[in-house]
This record gives sequence, C-alpha cells and structure tokens, in this order.
Amino acid sequence: MSTQTRASLQVDLAPHNPRELILRNPVIPASGCFGYGQEYSHVIDVQRLGAFCSKGITSQPRAGNPMPRITETPAGMLNAIGLQNPGIDAFIKKYPPIWEHWDVPAIVNFSADTVEEFAEMARKLDDVPGVAALEVNISCPNIHAGGFCFGWDARMSADVSRAVREATTLPVIIKLSPGAVDIAEIAAAVAEQGVDAISLINTLVGMSIDPVTRRSRIANTTGGLSGPAVKPVAVRQVYQVAQAVDIPIIGLGGIFGLNDALEFFMAGATAIEMGTVCFSHPVAPIQLIDDLQTWLDAQGCASIMDIVGVANPQFRAGKDS
Amino acid sequence: MAAVLGKASAPVREWTGEITANRTIMGDSYLVTFTMPEGLAQHIEPGHFVNVLPSGAGSFDPLLRRPYSIYGIDAAANTMTLLIRPYGRGGQWIVDQQPGQSLNVLGILGNHYEVAPRSSHLLMVAGGVGAAPLKMLSEQAVAQGKSVVYLLGARREDQLLDASELPHAVEYIVATEDGSAGHKGFVTELAANYLTWADQIFTCGPTPMMAALRNVILQHRFGKGPQVQISVERTMACGVGACLGCVVETKKGMKASCVDGPVFDMESVVWG
Repeated sequence: MSTQTRASLQVDLAPHNPRELILRNPVIPASGCFGYGQEYSHVIDVQRLGAFCSKGITSQPRAGNPMPRITETPAGMLNAIGLQNPGIDAFIKKYPPIWEHWDVPAIVNFSADTVEEFAEMARKLDDVPGVAALEVNISCPNIHAGGFCFGWDARMSADVSRAVREATTLPVIIKLSPGAVDIAEIAAAVAEQGVDAISLINTLVGMSIDPVTRRSRIANTTGGLSGPAVKPVAVRQVYQVAQAVDIPIIGLGGIFGLNDALEFFMAGATAIEMGTVCFSHPVAPIQLIDDLQTWLDAQGCASIMDIVGVANPQFRAGKDS
Repeated sequence: MAAVLGKASAPVREWTGEITANRTIMGDSYLVTFTMPEGLAQHIEPGHFVNVLPSGAGSFDPLLRRPYSIYGIDAAANTMTLLIRPYGRGGQWIVDQQPGQSLNVLGILGNHYEVAPRSSHLLMVAGGVGAAPLKMLSEQAVAQGKSVVYLLGARREDQLLDASELPHAVEYIVATEDGSAGHKGFVTELAANYLTWADQIFTCGPTPMMAALRNVILQHRFGKGPQVQISVERTMACGVGACLGCVVETKKGMKASCVDGPVFDMESVVWG
C-alpha cells in the first residue's frame, strides 16, 4: 500500500525572528496590485493565500499622480499611480482591524522620503494587531540625497534597512529596486543589517510615447514597467542575489503561472509574489497554489524547499532556514 | 448639490463565456453575445460593465482586460451582449472571435445608473458606443412606464444605432456631424430642447461630449435643474479598485472609476 504524502508548501520567511513569518504556501499577491486585500475578497478566496502585500503606504496621505496613470506595453504595462493612499494614521485605523480577523497574514508595504521617516513608520506599525510583517519599498527618492533613489545606493539602502530593523521587531522584508547597477552589492548591504528577507524586483523605470500626441502616454512622463516583459530581468537578479545573501528571498516580476514561478524558485527564491497578473487573472494566485501542489507531488518532492535554488550552483539564500 | 451614487456591489466572477452571436452594428462596431454564469443576470443593472481579456489562453499580449458597458442581457438564455468598437489590437481580437469560441470575462463590475422613483421623464444623451449602457437603461425605464428621449450623436448616418435596437416607446432623435441623418452637428445641441422636460439626464460618450453637454446644461437650466449622471471611460487595469489606475478627480478627492463609478453625478466631478 502506498500512502502518498503531499509535498509541503510551507515556507519560513523569517527563520531568525521570534515573531515569525511562516506561510502555509509561498504565493503572495504583490503590493500595488492587490489593494488592501478587501478589493479581491469577493473575487477569490483570499484566505487561501500564503500572505498578501498591501498597497504602499506613506506617512502623509497622497492623492497620487494625474491621469493617465497606466498604459499597456508589449506583454507588460507602465504605471505611475503616485502612491495614492490615505496615509499611515488613517491606514492603521481602517485596515489592520479587518485583517486581525483574517487567517492570511498581511504584509504592509511602505515607503518614505527620509531614513528617519522610514524608522518612524516602522515604529508606528510595530505593535499594530493584524500586521504580520513589513515590506520596505526603497525604490523611492531620498529627499536628503537630491532625490536619488535609496535602492540604487548600497549605503542608503543599508541605512534604511538598519533604521527599520532598529525600529521594529516585526519581520522586515526589504524590496529591492532593479535599477541598481549592482543588485548583489545592494542585497548584501541590506542583509548585513539583520533584516529578515529580501524581495525583488520592483518595477523597472520605463516610458512610452504616443506618436499622435507626441507626448508620453503617462501624465507622470515615466512609469514602472511590470508584467511578463520584465521576467527575465527579475529571474537574473534573484539568481544573483541568492548568491550574495543567506536570508530568504521573495521573487517577483512577471509571474503569471506555474512555469514562471518555478524559474524563480529554482533561481533561489523561497517565495514569490504575483503582481500584474492579478489584473488580468485575479484567480491566478489561487491557481498557482494548486498547480504548485500538483507539480511538487508529481515530482515526488517532500517540500517546496526541495527545488529552491536548484538551478543556482552558488545558491545561499535561506539555505539554513 | 451632487447626489451620492452607490458603489460597486454586484458579485464579481472570472468566467469563460461561449460566444453565441457576433454581428456588426453602427458601421464599424460589433454586438458580441456570450454566455454567463447562472445567477448573475439578476444582479445586472444598466451602467454595469465587465472586463474582457483581449487575448487567448497562454498569451500575455495584449495584457490588460478591456472594459465594456453592458448593452443588454437575455435572462432566459443567460447571455450578455456588449457593443464593441475596436479601437486597437485588444478590441480587434475580441470582435474577431466567432460563435462557438470563448471569451474570458471578469464581472459584474462598477456601480450603475440610478433612476429616482419619482422621475418620469428621462433624457439619454449618447455619443458613439456610449449608446450601450443607455440602451439598456432605456429598456428598463420604458418597462417601468417612464418616458424616454434618447439622443445619439455620430459622425455619419451609418454609425448610428438602428431604431429597431430601441423599444418603440423611446423617442429616438439623432445628430450627425456631416448632416447625413437628423440634426447636422453635435448631439449636445439637441439636448437644450429637453432640459426643462427631463427629470433626470443620463449620458455616456467621449469626455469632450460630456463636457459640452455640461456647458449646455449650465447655460440653459434654471433652479436646481435635472440631475445628470455620467458614465466615464478610463484606461483600466484591475476593475476592482485595487490598482487605482482609473481614477476620476471628484470634489471629494480621487475616486476609482471601476468601483466608485463608472457612473458619477456630473456635479461631483472636477471639470478641467
């Protein structure tokens, strides 16, 4: 008699943090593409997800950018929403009290203009019931550095990571920017600050011009490129970062289905996020959970961890977890 | 004082509908009819829309769903019909699908037009494929015994909706830019004649048309005048209020046209 045991999809994204970030499966809708979870709760079974990332919040309310904010590109899209959000105080009152009653862990994505503001926001979120972890968006301009992107500079990325780490005991994920010249250098600098995990990639800065109007198709002129078009860049950067750090990596960038996700796991990601696909196929994250289970069972794997980093000879990330 | 319209509240499903009919209409547009899941029809109101995937299974290009207002439903056959003018590759792909083939649809999305119980005279002002939600609204209003004047503007005669598409009881008046049928000029110029008659005005069409309608109303109306509900069209990604890519600037801040709209009170919107 063969008793087929099913592969475990469980992943540990904060193995050294007593507050833990253990997900029942490694599938996480990405920030900006899933609202605050509620928007999709009547479309899919949100509670089946491994976790989800909230829309990015800032310390003050933001009205966002003028329209048009999005445009389609070949197998992708550009967006410049401008971080429209109610600000951290209104956010804390409105959403975590809902999430507190949910099974699925909520990861709060946030950004700031200065290192001090990052720390202050992390302090405010530290003991808010319903908040499971923080994802720190460092793909934003540092107003004390002439607007240079935090995430493109190893020292500034480390400064933010250290400040957030000191401000909270919550699991902290630093979300890297693909615009950095040497992504592995940034990742190593971030990991040294004791953060729990790294997620990558954020969108790539892009542009699209309408020949009729002779203007950018986006009011903000430039926007963030996402979707299947960016996937090879994302897989490459996950592969590089997985050789540079030993903390878990969350990979994202153009994942639409099983084969896309497998590329990220095999490059060295312990979990994956799904962004743009939520717009085209809201059921895709749930479908991926089922497809991963079926695939791992068919492969005879005991755990999703069996395939993490298998395509990466110098893989280190999350190995000791 | 702007009336407060409801938010999106109909059930949302992602489904695969089988196309049962696809025919040309209004010259360069198509009426595409396809099946929908049991139990959805009863939730559909005029002004609701769906997001249709403009590519086949496994294709990522074009990537984003296209929003279309619902033109009509057949509750007995459990089908829905959309009026589609293919502006680009995505719309073209959708109208190229033939009966027997399938469409991936996300809906029911958005809020809907709201007819006040006391309103007995309803004015519809439609531009181009903006005809769709107002056709469904007219059918419902006539069935409820209300009087409907339906104004439609197009560039030329062959781009008008055939009168047979509307209930007999509807007073259907047209304008064409080239004068090939009806009033020569813009549909908004016809609206002035009905402003004192109408209890409520409902409009859908290009933004410049709706802005022109607003100017006509502001010039001609007296007192509180009729309440005007507009349905906006924005480039859209998610359709459920998550991405905030489709916002409309209102007097109460940025609102997502997919869940706070697409129907807005005309005076709640900030006009440039």
